[in-house]
Amino acid sequence: MPRPRTFYTLSLIALGCGAACAAAGAGGFDSPALRWGGDALLLGGGLGAAATIVLVRRGLGQLADAARKPGALVLAGRTVSPDTGFQFLTHATDALLESAERSVADARLQAKELEIQLKVATAERQHAEAILYSISDAVLVTDPFDELVLANESAARTFEFDLAKSGRSPVDQVLRDPKMIALIREMRQSHSRSGRRIVEHEVHGEAGSRTFKVTLSSISDGDVPGGVVAVLHDVTREREVSEMKNDFVSMVSHELRTPLASIRAYVEMLIDGEADDVKTQREFYEVIQNEANRLGRLIDNILNISRIESGLVRINKQPQSLSVIVKDAMEVIAPQARQKQIRISEELTPVFYQTLADRDMLYQAVLNLLSNAVKYTPVGGAITVEILVDEPQKKVLTRISDTGVGIPPKDLPFVFDKFYRSEANSRMAPGTGLGLSLVKHIVESVHQGRMFVESHVGKGSCFGFELVLCE
Amino acid sequence: MNGKTILVADDESHILNVVSLKLRNAGFRVLTAADGQEALEIALQERPDLLITDYHMPLLSGLELCQRLRQECSAIPAIMLTARGYNLEPEDTARSGILKMVSKPFSPRQLLATVQEVLGETAVVAAG
Repeated sequence: MPRPRTFYTLSLIALGCGAACAAAGAGGFDSPALRWGGDALLLGGGLGAAATIVLVRRGLGQLADAARKPGALVLAGRTVSPDTGFQFLTHATDALLESAERSVADARLQAKELEIQLKVATAERQHAEAILYSISDAVLVTDPFDELVLANESAARTFEFDLAKSGRSPVDQVLRDPKMIALIREMRQSHSRSGRRIVEHEVHGEAGSRTFKVTLSSISDGDVPGGVVAVLHDVTREREVSEMKNDFVSMVSHELRTPLASIRAYVEMLIDGEADDVKTQREFYEVIQNEANRLGRLIDNILNISRIESGLVRINKQPQSLSVIVKDAMEVIAPQARQKQIRISEELTPVFYQTLADRDMLYQAVLNLLSNAVKYTPVGGAITVEILVDEPQKKVLTRISDTGVGIPPKDLPFVFDKFYRSEANSRMAPGTGLGLSLVKHIVESVHQGRMFVESHVGKGSCFGFELVLCE
Repeated sequence: MNGKTILVADDESHILNVVSLKLRNAGFRVLTAADGQEALEIALQERPDLLITDYHMPLLSGLELCQRLRQECSAIPAIMLTARGYNLEPEDTARSGILKMVSKPFSPRQLLATVQEVLGETAVVAAG
């Protein structure tokens, strides 16, 4: 059996270790250390109490031995009477018990405090992690040894690594992006006091390239080099929108300047008397009128698209028969078709099949499609307009097919883009490059329908749209 | 008639017609082309004294046309019309023989003045 003093020594060591672990745990935000500290304090308190009991038992044993023996009692090197000895031992025992009780109470109190600290620290950590995981920006945190200590799901998605397996791994083993690794290392080595650097970085992933604004922050503590926090904000869409805006402005400028150039030149020629005969003068006036109309249509189209896109246009949806709308549009387009000896045939449905639509907008869409069919169909060609009803699916399909020049496959995905004009077709007929974009907006944004196109070069094109049939 | 031949290339027929008429009325011999490819073929065959070309044309842009002419024969002096409102790199224009850029909309009167200036200048350079 170990000696009581050994118990005391053990208990003191346990108390010390416990307190140290707990302190380290609380300071270092490390929950296992904090738990061990609490356990060790309780162990220390328990060992102390056990040692006290052993000592008291031993003292009482000695006293009993002395009582059984006649004569004086030697206690603590001094000869004392048995009464004095008893009193001494009683006081000593009381003091010892009191001290042991205090130690146990203190240990319990400290353990309780550590438990609270542990809960607070755990809650704070969970809170911090929740914030980290909820932000859409990618976050990477590295330590002074370039090991990844923290990352969020967005970072794992961006750099395509397994978040569960990435903890405490060297950053160059987790990321397969040499430039990003270099940026983190440079930031750590720079010991930047200002602590911040913002760079633009392109990440090439399986889904394509994306552009990020990377904010690198140094987390060095004084002169001691520390880790790096990298926050990556995806600016791909912003860059695309900015480029699209520039392209749009450039294209609008081009499209507006072209008819304006004709108007200005012909007006000046008339003023300067360069059109000397009446016939030429009349031709000039007609050019001016046509180009002014073109300019007006262009501005209308731009405004209509802009209004639909921004949701400013007033939409008046009523049950409408597509057959009636198509008939109206065909009547308007008929003179142009006759001029080119283009035959228009129709396969329409009874008027009781209706769709919930804004009549004027849908009429505009059908007219644009018919106008294109006439424009891109050579003299003597044919146009077919069909309306097909799918009653079980509650859909109505409108198809406008022509025997025109067709659209090359490379141009097909872009025909609904603003100002996009197939190079081959732009020679065939003038246009703003906005008509089909407007049709798509009317069908898909305003009527939640679906637009489609099929085309074969030299054979013709078929443009159409699908809308929901009214109950 | 001053004997000089000018090739005008533009896919906008109204511009092509009005520029041609202005130049013809001023005594020039005028050839026309509706795209870059046609302009290249005419230029190689006719070797005009000056080329007036739109920048944005089907098949071959105005800049590509000037560059091809530079490769195939010595560059023909050119005036570039553009509705885009941007300027080309000075190195590109110099290498391709483009002497002036004219923004659309333009005044036919001023275009004629530019033509006369360019032809006068090139004549001096050629003589020197």
